[in-house]
Amino acid sequence: MNKAVKHIYLCVFLMLLLGVPAVLAWQQSENDTMALAEPPSGEQQQLQETKNSVHRGWFGIPDTNPQSRLIRALIIVIITSTVCQVVLLIWILINRNRIHAVEAKTGRLLEQFQTLLVDYLFSENNNEQFREIQRIAAFDFDRRILINQMIDLSINLSGESKEKLRDLYFKLELDQDSLFKAHSSMWHIQIKGFKEMAFMNIKEASQQIRNALKSKNNILRMEAQLALVRLNEDDPFGFLDDLKRPFTLWEQLNVHELIIFHNLPIPDFSRWTNSTNKTVVIFSLRMIQVFKQTGAMQAIINCLSHPDREVRHTAIRVCGEIQLHDTLPHLKHIYKSEDRDNCLAIIHAMEKMRNESMLGFLKLVLDKEEDVQLQIGAAVAISKMGETGISALVKLMKSEYKDYQIIIRHVLDKRIN
Amino acid sequence: MIISGIFSDVFFYIINNVIFVLTCFIFGTYLTLAAISAIALRNYLRKNSYVDYNSIILAPFTPSISVIAPAYNEARTIIENTRALLSLYYNNFEVIIVNDGSTDETFKKMVETYSLERVNYYFDYRIPCERVRGVYKSKNRSFKNLMVIDKVNGGKSDALNAGINVSRKDLICCIDVDSIMEPDALLKMVKPFMEETDKKVIGTGGVIRIANSCLIEDGQIKEIRLPDNFLARMQTLEYTRAFLLARMAWGKLDGLLLISGALGLFDKETVVKCGGYSIKTVGEDMEIVVRMRRYMAENKLPYQLTYIPDPLVWTEVPSRGRQLSRQRNRWTRGTLETLITHRKLFMNRKYGRFGMLGYTYWFFFEWLTPIIEFMGYIYFTYLVIFKLVNWPFFLVLLAFVYTFSVMISAFAILFEEKTFHKYKSRKDVLNLLLVSLAEPFFYHPRTVWWAIRGNIDYLLGVRRWGKMERTGFGKGKKQKVKVREAKTVQQLKAEKQKEP
Repeated sequence: MNKAVKHIYLCVFLMLLLGVPAVLAWQQSENDTMALAEPPSGEQQQLQETKNSVHRGWFGIPDTNPQSRLIRALIIVIITSTVCQVVLLIWILINRNRIHAVEAKTGRLLEQFQTLLVDYLFSENNNEQFREIQRIAAFDFDRRILINQMIDLSINLSGESKEKLRDLYFKLELDQDSLFKAHSSMWHIQIKGFKEMAFMNIKEASQQIRNALKSKNNILRMEAQLALVRLNEDDPFGFLDDLKRPFTLWEQLNVHELIIFHNLPIPDFSRWTNSTNKTVVIFSLRMIQVFKQTGAMQAIINCLSHPDREVRHTAIRVCGEIQLHDTLPHLKHIYKSEDRDNCLAIIHAMEKMRNESMLGFLKLVLDKEEDVQLQIGAAVAISKMGETGISALVKLMKSEYKDYQIIIRHVLDKRIN
Repeated sequence: MIISGIFSDVFFYIINNVIFVLTCFIFGTYLTLAAISAIALRNYLRKNSYVDYNSIILAPFTPSISVIAPAYNEARTIIENTRALLSLYYNNFEVIIVNDGSTDETFKKMVETYSLERVNYYFDYRIPCERVRGVYKSKNRSFKNLMVIDKVNGGKSDALNAGINVSRKDLICCIDVDSIMEPDALLKMVKPFMEETDKKVIGTGGVIRIANSCLIEDGQIKEIRLPDNFLARMQTLEYTRAFLLARMAWGKLDGLLLISGALGLFDKETVVKCGGYSIKTVGEDMEIVVRMRRYMAENKLPYQLTYIPDPLVWTEVPSRGRQLSRQRNRWTRGTLETLITHRKLFMNRKYGRFGMLGYTYWFFFEWLTPIIEFMGYIYFTYLVIFKLVNWPFFLVLLAFVYTFSVMISAFAILFEEKTFHKYKSRKDVLNLLLVSLAEPFFYHPRTVWWAIRGNIDYLLGVRRWGKMERTGFGKGKKQKVKVREAKTVQQLKAEKQKEP
């Protein structure tokens, strides 16, 4: 049954369950009032007159009094709340049974499919396994489990086995399931479809995925982008050219994972260091660092004078991580104009490069800076220069000009870092 | 006489109506929050249903984290809990344990178990804190990401500030050392920071669950059970309601004022710029969040505070009335201190939803409601004494309040069932439902009284934390394991008897 129809049924059921008792209660109270309001006759009238009574609702409160209406409203809320509790209790218990049943069935199916898939992939004559898989995966739920299992398996496969698994996916017409999901009106199901299609390299719904790039839903847009990176073999990273929204660290991480695990061709990331989108520039710099693209030095140097602080920070870090010694004069040059964090990043970059030509500069930092972290950073960078650095520090320790003892003792203590 | 009669009529009319309208308003707010929370929970679960958190572990550019755990007289649990922290599932983190002048064997045990030795650490008092006696690292390289600070006692905030001063990472995760973190808690908490767009993420909070009676081995939860103790059970329901209904909704509404001190992940840069934790309050967890938000808003920096509904940390709650009373007293004082310190926020448009909604909600619902409720009790007693009560009307009102409260609790249990489904036993869930029936009579009035005591203590200038005696997870563990072994032996015997 369609999920939406199920929801409608559920709503109608709840409305009946809650509404009927509420309406009945209301009517009952109306009847009571009406009965009291009917003109009494004879003895009753006398009795009523002697009591000097007016029309009274529940609890003896005059019916014209707003309190009577209030009490009715309260009683309706009480009935509704009580019915709600009973419904919730039943719901909770049914849900619990359903969860247990689904868990048990999923476990059983996963085990079955795993054995059958492995047998199918690694045996010569696999018709029997194919028929068996086809027989078990007859219903929607079973097919969903099978798709999940095949995707999990495909991560650890390569070459012929991976192709065989993909063929099986098509033979079982699971691609139709994925396409159906990709066209769903619910974003989370659409994403599931995109993911499956990307994994199994199904290009039929690429247009649908492209349409999702214009969606207002951030998550859907992001997942569509990731799916296209895999499906667009000609220029998987072309989307970076005109990406306007922020390219989050989470997306960057996923793209990086795609490159690593799915052997995507690694482009020259310096192509995007001039992007107007700062997050794209940061991603490019990160990728330059990860893939050690030392040829991109000029692009990195340009980024050292980028107007955005974060971009400059990333560029400084990249210089240190991939040991671009030629950038040292630039780093030294920008030191004065940078904020504390970027200054610290420059010193850390120098520490990574262990270049003796920076000894004088670092001594100056140790001497002139008032921020302890910068002083410690400079001393660490000096200590990493080997014998020259250590002897320089020892000399400074004995200096009478300034008390460097605590900082240098900290730096020379190998147990700390 | 006539004037006084009119006056008393007006007085009673106002009192009756104000209390009633307020009750309806509170219930309406709870229902609205529950609805918002349901939407937020559904979206969160959908969004994360296909997320592989292992990707974070493998990435070379994930944010680095310092886990800071202050410890004061935690000798019973410190070793096990430090071990659990060291085995958290994350690729770039350090654990900083701050011994806040413990008078028991906490520090000695740490030194012995983790082979600690004092290092020549240059301690930078960037954020002021009490004197640090020494910084210790382990001789064993397996514990290279452990750092222990031994300092003069200065309270939890002071210990956290000392931890922040030695932190060398991008984010700081502040936790109670007696809590047990889920192994993947850091992965889940760091994700919102990685999803940051044009708004800086300054903090993330998660759900705190109750560990009393759970089966714990090696500092990790092995089997989740509903607490055996009555008070702890009540708190289980209370926590479920607070975290899954209220905070989830406030996270969505951008009105969060509190990230629980038991677990919170913060942007270190922002914390340092705000001057670290305040040592002047006993509600430091709420105060730091409010101060960070104020700092961002006043400097016109776009920011967000996120909240995730995953159960991330398990903590032992007080199981005795006196302990619980002290805890609640402290919470009330902490709330009041923060509300007074940051009174500028009250209904202040400049602070957006944070000032208009978040602060106002805390002011009326968390602080003022218990006071009004208490006044209601006094007023009712007066009516009873002077035989002024319309009993049938009273019973209807009572039934209204009771059934509605139970319904809200039932919704909270349903949310738990539909989302994380942590209590596997059907008996536990039924017990929780039974607890929801008993709570309004046997637990809630006590919380009101503790809140009143907190207010009185605040006015009297009481600033102490209050002692929390813990049974320790280690003790619980042994008991539970024994029960398990006994069961296993019985089962084996039964099986043997069945054999031909």
